[in-house]
Amino acid sequence: MTGLPVSTYVLSTGLALILIGLWGLLMQKNIIRMIIGFSLVDTGIHMVMIAIGYVTGGTAPIIDSAVPIKDAATRVVDPVPSALVLTAIVIGLGVTAVMLSYAVNIYREKKSLSIDDCSESKW
Amino acid sequence: MDIDWFQKIGNFGLTLLIVTVYGLFMGAFIERIIAKVQGRVGIPYTQPIINILQTLTRRTAISHGIMFYLGPVFRIAGGVGTLAFVPVIFGSETFSNFSGAGDLMLVIYFMFFGQLGMALGAGESGHPYAAIGIARGLSQMTAYEVPFALSVIAIVLQYDTLSITEIVAAQQGGWQHWTLFTNPIAVAAAMLAFLGMTGYSPFDIFLAPQEIPIGPPTEFHSAYLSLLQTNRALFGATKLVLFMNLFFGGATGWVELAIKTWAIYMVAIAVGVAFPRFRIDQSIRFFFKIPTLIGIASIVYVQMALVR
Amino acid sequence: MVAAVFHPLGIFIVALGTAFLTPLLFRKREGFASLIFMLALAAMATIAAAGFLALANGAPTIEIETAGIAPPFAINLRFGLYESFFVFAVNLAALLAAWHYLPRLRKHAATLLLFIIMVMGIDGMVMTRDLFNLFIFIEITSIATYTLIGFEREAGMLSAGFKYIIATSIASAFFLLGTIFVYYQTGTLNIDDIIAHQSAIGGPIGFVALLLLLTSLLIELKPYPANGWGLDVYETAPSAIASMISVGVSAGVIFALYKVQPLFGDFLTSIAVVGGITFLASNVIGLRQNNVKRLLGYSSIGQMGLMVLAMALLQQHGQHTHLALIVGGLFLNHLLAKAGLFWLAGVVQRDTVRGWAGVAGKPLLLLVLGVCLAALIGLPPFPGFWAKWGLVMELAVDNLYGWIALVLVGSLLEAAYLFRWFGHALRADDSEPVNVGVAPLLPPAAAAALLAVAGYFTARSAGVVPGQLLLPVYAAGALFLLDGLPGRLKSLAMLAVVAGGGFWVAGDLQGLNRIFALILVAGGLLMAVATLYRGDARKGFYPLLAALLLSLATLLTAHTSLEFFTSWELMTLSSYLLVTLGRDGVKPALSYLLFSLGSAFLILAGFAVAFAATGSIELAALGNAGDSVPLVFSLLALGFVIKAGAFGFHIWLPGAYTEADDDTTAILSAVMSKASIFGLVIVAGQLGVRADIGLEPAYVLGWIGMLTATFGALMAVFQEDFKRLLAYSSMGQLGYIVAGIALMSHLGWVAALYMTVNHFLYKGVLFLAAAGVIYRTNTRLMYQMGGLIKNMPVTFVAVMMAIIAMSGVPPLTGFGGKWLLFNAMMDKGWYWLAAVGFFSSAVAFLYMFRILQTVFLGQRKLAHKDLREAPLILLVPQVVMLVIILVLSAYPKLLLDPLSAAVAPYVPGALLWDGLALQSHLGYWNAPMIMIIVGGVWAIPLIFLLLVSLTIKIQPVKQFNIVYAAERPHRPEDTHYAYRFFAHYERAIGVLVKPHATAFWSAVSEWSHTLAASLRILYTGNGQTYVLFILVYFVALYFANTGTV
Repeated sequence: MTGLPVSTYVLSTGLALILIGLWGLLMQKNIIRMIIGFSLVDTGIHMVMIAIGYVTGGTAPIIDSAVPIKDAATRVVDPVPSALVLTAIVIGLGVTAVMLSYAVNIYREKKSLSIDDCSESKW
Repeated sequence: MDIDWFQKIGNFGLTLLIVTVYGLFMGAFIERIIAKVQGRVGIPYTQPIINILQTLTRRTAISHGIMFYLGPVFRIAGGVGTLAFVPVIFGSETFSNFSGAGDLMLVIYFMFFGQLGMALGAGESGHPYAAIGIARGLSQMTAYEVPFALSVIAIVLQYDTLSITEIVAAQQGGWQHWTLFTNPIAVAAAMLAFLGMTGYSPFDIFLAPQEIPIGPPTEFHSAYLSLLQTNRALFGATKLVLFMNLFFGGATGWVELAIKTWAIYMVAIAVGVAFPRFRIDQSIRFFFKIPTLIGIASIVYVQMALVR
Repeated sequence: MVAAVFHPLGIFIVALGTAFLTPLLFRKREGFASLIFMLALAAMATIAAAGFLALANGAPTIEIETAGIAPPFAINLRFGLYESFFVFAVNLAALLAAWHYLPRLRKHAATLLLFIIMVMGIDGMVMTRDLFNLFIFIEITSIATYTLIGFEREAGMLSAGFKYIIATSIASAFFLLGTIFVYYQTGTLNIDDIIAHQSAIGGPIGFVALLLLLTSLLIELKPYPANGWGLDVYETAPSAIASMISVGVSAGVIFALYKVQPLFGDFLTSIAVVGGITFLASNVIGLRQNNVKRLLGYSSIGQMGLMVLAMALLQQHGQHTHLALIVGGLFLNHLLAKAGLFWLAGVVQRDTVRGWAGVAGKPLLLLVLGVCLAALIGLPPFPGFWAKWGLVMELAVDNLYGWIALVLVGSLLEAAYLFRWFGHALRADDSEPVNVGVAPLLPPAAAAALLAVAGYFTARSAGVVPGQLLLPVYAAGALFLLDGLPGRLKSLAMLAVVAGGGFWVAGDLQGLNRIFALILVAGGLLMAVATLYRGDARKGFYPLLAALLLSLATLLTAHTSLEFFTSWELMTLSSYLLVTLGRDGVKPALSYLLFSLGSAFLILAGFAVAFAATGSIELAALGNAGDSVPLVFSLLALGFVIKAGAFGFHIWLPGAYTEADDDTTAILSAVMSKASIFGLVIVAGQLGVRADIGLEPAYVLGWIGMLTATFGALMAVFQEDFKRLLAYSSMGQLGYIVAGIALMSHLGWVAALYMTVNHFLYKGVLFLAAAGVIYRTNTRLMYQMGGLIKNMPVTFVAVMMAIIAMSGVPPLTGFGGKWLLFNAMMDKGWYWLAAVGFFSSAVAFLYMFRILQTVFLGQRKLAHKDLREAPLILLVPQVVMLVIILVLSAYPKLLLDPLSAAVAPYVPGALLWDGLALQSHLGYWNAPMIMIIVGGVWAIPLIFLLLVSLTIKIQPVKQFNIVYAAERPHRPEDTHYAYRFFAHYERAIGVLVKPHATAFWSAVSEWSHTLAASLRILYTGNGQTYVLFILVYFVALYFANTGTV
């Protein structure tokens, strides 16, 4: 394998997703699209997390005969970020669900999905 | 401090008599001078005394109430009291009155006593013209008080005392020691204030003597009026004595006193016959301008020239 | 066993257990489910309380380890003193909020469940020591909150909720990114471990990581301007939820910030600036706000800013020991007060500030509202007061004067809009009255009660002995319970309380304080006797009056600046409330309160500077302030003279004095105004004489005093309103006293105190007489009176004597004051001031005469023909004071000797007596002799006139029997010269008294509102704009801090 380590691709893709997601949040008037934007940000962050835990050429973090315990620190991929990502995905799911239910209710109340129609309170 | 009260009261009674009679005669004298200026003969010298006796012996009188009744009493008490606190003849224990009770501050503030009581009496009469006259008189008073206060401060500073006796003492030893010559600026301010204080033209609108009765005494008559008339002579003379003491070297005898006070009075008369009357707001503004500036200058002058 | 039951882990067990049980129970019986729900919340609060008590009594911190592995390899929670305090406070608030909102919450299992999960999430945010776990708890709380905001499904709530979700999700995303970067560099998620290895966090990645964490936490705290979404939620969400976001979620976040703050050592200035900008901006914008809940939102955000600011600055300057009292006090104060206010808003259900007029006349509601508002702006005895005091003191120690100014200005602005709201609530108008029973008021009332309790304990931890010091509060509380009794009975009870309490507190004072005790306490009591003249119920009046008079007593006993300031603020609060009781008192009361608070803040700043210089809060140590003396003196003196109504700052005075109840005004003017004189004397005594350096500010003070005297008199001249005239007169007369103190000489101080006593006497008589006249005539306008001497002779004589005593005409007491002051001024070489003094005392004659003329003399109105003399009980204090005036006039030595002895320790010197004559450098004053002579020269003409009267018939005549230009006067109205009495004077010099000061302060107010309008245009209501603000906020923080790491 030549060139950059795979984690770099993951990292840069993740950052790009975050930026695309933010762009969606800022530029899209449709609430559903904003929610998609948020999901992209979320996913991007998860990818960044995974990339950070990766050890180039590392193996799965299972300590057995293949990976002696004294080499564990250098040879295995850090398991913690992966564990965190799992939790973060669950939370992201929860938040997205709440957002979508808001979208449903907003549409029911206003017959509109534009964020511009959600500015009753100001000043 | 042992005061021989009987002796003191007796002496004061004598002073009071002299000053009152002198005031009455001088009033007539001044009236005659004004008459001469205007080409009339004028009143006899005894006219003021006759007036008093005439009003005093009226057979009827009315009263608007207790303050109305007391107003003239307050008024003459103010006149007599002011005289009581002013030493009249320098160097004479007999004619020093009760000047031991208080200093120049006392005299200045006690002058309001009679005015206040009189104003109350006139107020109870219910006559609007009386109230208007008082309102104007008080307003004018606040105005001429400014140059007067400044000039008083200047001389208090100059002589470093508030005691009238000591102020006179400091001016002894020749005319060149009079305040008039040692601090002419203060005297100028004070004399301008004096014009307002005497209530002659151009500052006479609060009394308006020429018109149908306007001003504080409007409703007073008979015995009340006699008290007021007496006081007018007495209080006028007392103010002259005070000015003489403060600015013109005081007097060591009655003749000197008569000449000096007459001369001071003539200033007001001369101005009065020469100038027409100010409206009240004009007269107020007048005192806040030139006389006040002169008063300020007098203090600056004392600070620069004398205190150093 | 007990320890096991009350183990903090129980909080999570109870919360999660209840959360799982609720849907099951709900299906069976919803009533039972909500009972379990409330019991669970109560249990959580109890566990937290037990833990807090144990920890406060010295029990060790509880470390909770999970998964049986020690940290950093597993998540751990910590339950120490601070954690237990926050958890307890939040759970308590949650319990009350749930009680308040139970009627709605119990409708769905989901809401019950989510509420309890939200509370648990906050508890977790406080307790966890793991960064990622913190993220989890933030998200748990957030998801619960999102749902609770929107579950009513009303359009405004949904919009606001969605914006809130977007904003906080971005904040969470930042947090997650930051966490992972930190983990990348340190290899651990345990906060303590990270802090231990914080040197590993470096380079661009470390910098961005910290910045992401910081931005996230700050955004959660809603910093200006990236906080529009938060405001929208405060405005629209149900009150209970809004209150939990304001006090609960914010508590969790702020504690999280506290936990990770050691990482932000380089960012502390930024954090403080963020807090400061938020505090100031929110409070400016609040000025324009009319929606009550959004108003509370601005206040919440501002208070959070203040806490962030305090935390950052104190940590930056190593003041960790003071964090507990200051941030803890601010936190608890805000928690209870703000939650109470949100619940009240939920109960009252009036959107706009004006709508709250419907609350007027509801004592319990107003009491709760007043307590919460007073607490929020930091008035004693509530926790915020002690905390703010501590904050300002510590900021001063670190020379952070700019920050002090920011905190105080912000607080003043906050007071302005909060008390404007209170004002509307006090004043009934045509809006529909609010109908609420007692039950819905219980949660906010509980918050108010807890505020009082918390205030007591905070005071103790601030090192104050709250026994005597808070006596005014206890007395007011006790009398408030009796408020249902008839008016006169309450009056007697008040008199008894004040007499007993006053004697207990101030009975054994010596020297100067004793003299002031005689004026303030004994004099106040004498004036308070007059309150018996009105028999009506006067709700709230008597407790407040007792509080005012007793706070004056405690003021005199203060040894430390904290005690002094506490009493001072209690006096401010009680007098403000007294003014609001007047018929049209609410509006002037607000300007009175704002100027009073402004002056109090100057005093606070002065004490703080002194504390920084001397390290002591003893009043006696003020003089050791060294180079700071001129600054301390200027701040304190300015504070006191504003309270005394100094020229330029006087605009509160006429309104407050005029519109307060008539007997209240008498006490305010004759008695309470002397408190500022007392303060000035104490301060000048410590600073002016003991400090070795010269005091230029004293000369300025002298001019302030004399200008106040002059303009007070000039403005009094042109008033038509009896009380307004007296109010301006009061202002002017205090000016002389201030000038006397400024002289800093023995004679000057004797003069000042002599005038103080005298002012108490004559102004007391005048205001009580005015009360009697107004009581009988039902008008305050003098031209509608006239000729009342016939009906009210005793009142007339009282007024006349008082006026002579005020004017300075011999022989009454006033002359002594003028003589002493003039001599002292000439001694000092202040000639120009003396000249101004002459002028102003001449001007004073104008208004003094006017009172007598237009009220008592001249033509009586036909309608007033049958008026009676003022009520006897009103005359009694007047007569007592007149007797004192006469005695002191004849024999001033009785007063002057004690005064001279009292001031000698501060300004050495003695009065020189020659027999009964007082000697000065310039002159002499023999008061007994003057009295005798004046009596004599007055009696002799009187006897003469009486004799004459015997010989002629003096006939009394009716009022129209006057020489009136040959006409008979038509009617009294045409003949009574009273309206615009000094019109000619106005024409001559009226230009001097154009209301420049009023115009200036109006412009200040206008300008603040304009500023508010331009600051709030950022709040467009558009969710995407708000997202942009958040991103820009991050970028701004990035650029602001590049180079610091």
